[in-house]
Amino acid sequence: MPGPRSMRLVESALRCYPQRWRSRHGDEAAEIASMLIRDGTPAHSVAWSYLIGAARMRLVIEPRRRLGAAVGALLLAGSLGVPVALLSTSAPANAASVAHSRTAHPHSAHPHSAHPHSAHPHSAHPRNGDSRPADPRYAGGRGAPDGCDQHDHC
Amino acid sequence: MAARERDDTGGQDVLRRAGDASVLILTSLADGSKHGYALIQDIRGFAGLQLGPGTLYGALDRLERLGLIEALPAEDRRQPYRITAAGVVALRDHLDSIERVSSVGRLRLGLGGI
Repeated sequence: MPGPRSMRLVESALRCYPQRWRSRHGDEAAEIASMLIRDGTPAHSVAWSYLIGAARMRLVIEPRRRLGAAVGALLLAGSLGVPVALLSTSAPANAASVAHSRTAHPHSAHPHSAHPHSAHPHSAHPRNGDSRPADPRYAGGRGAPDGCDQHDHC
Repeated sequence: MAARERDDTGGQDVLRRAGDASVLILTSLADGSKHGYALIQDIRGFAGLQLGPGTLYGALDRLERLGLIEALPAEDRRQPYRITAAGVVALRDHLDSIERVSSVGRLRLGLGGI
């Protein structure tokens, strides 16, 4: 019989699975883990396998649901008249200013695509009504608010 | 359209995308229903490798979603699975494909065909 410490490790990994999965497979998964550990498989190896499985499940299966939720949220936001920029940036203070400039220029969906010269690294000229600070992150098209998620959340 | 039909009938493309663990599980289930731990033991026996439990459950979920296996009523805490008709077709197609590749490979290595 595996020790309580081994099983705590496995149970922690199993808690990473979605609730729906745990209610269906949780008991059996714990039993399989117990039997594998009893057979000589290291507990950390079993826990790691479950952890990777949980991560895959959340990355591969759950995104479909998240995409649906995101589309629903965008549609709702659109119907309420919320500027898309508010939803696309991760910095609330910048979002307010960007939203102001974008609502003033409805055809400039992207801050760098609207102005042909703005993609140049030295062309960080604020447009009319754009109160965005001259932050070097925004100057070269890299690290712009739309791309922040890559750095902030990964 | 042809590819779509192959997908619906559980053709080899479906199984190719499903990964090696799925092939091992279908092969294990080909001679009768099994639950998770029995699958791990059986695969260790005929393939010489131990499937991690996380990998096993991921593959079981995927195969069930594809309609290649189905869950039977649970026995105690254990959930047995069995291969479906579509699973049999998919496994057969996949094994045929592997066999063709194996024959060509052996010929090209000078080992003779099967």
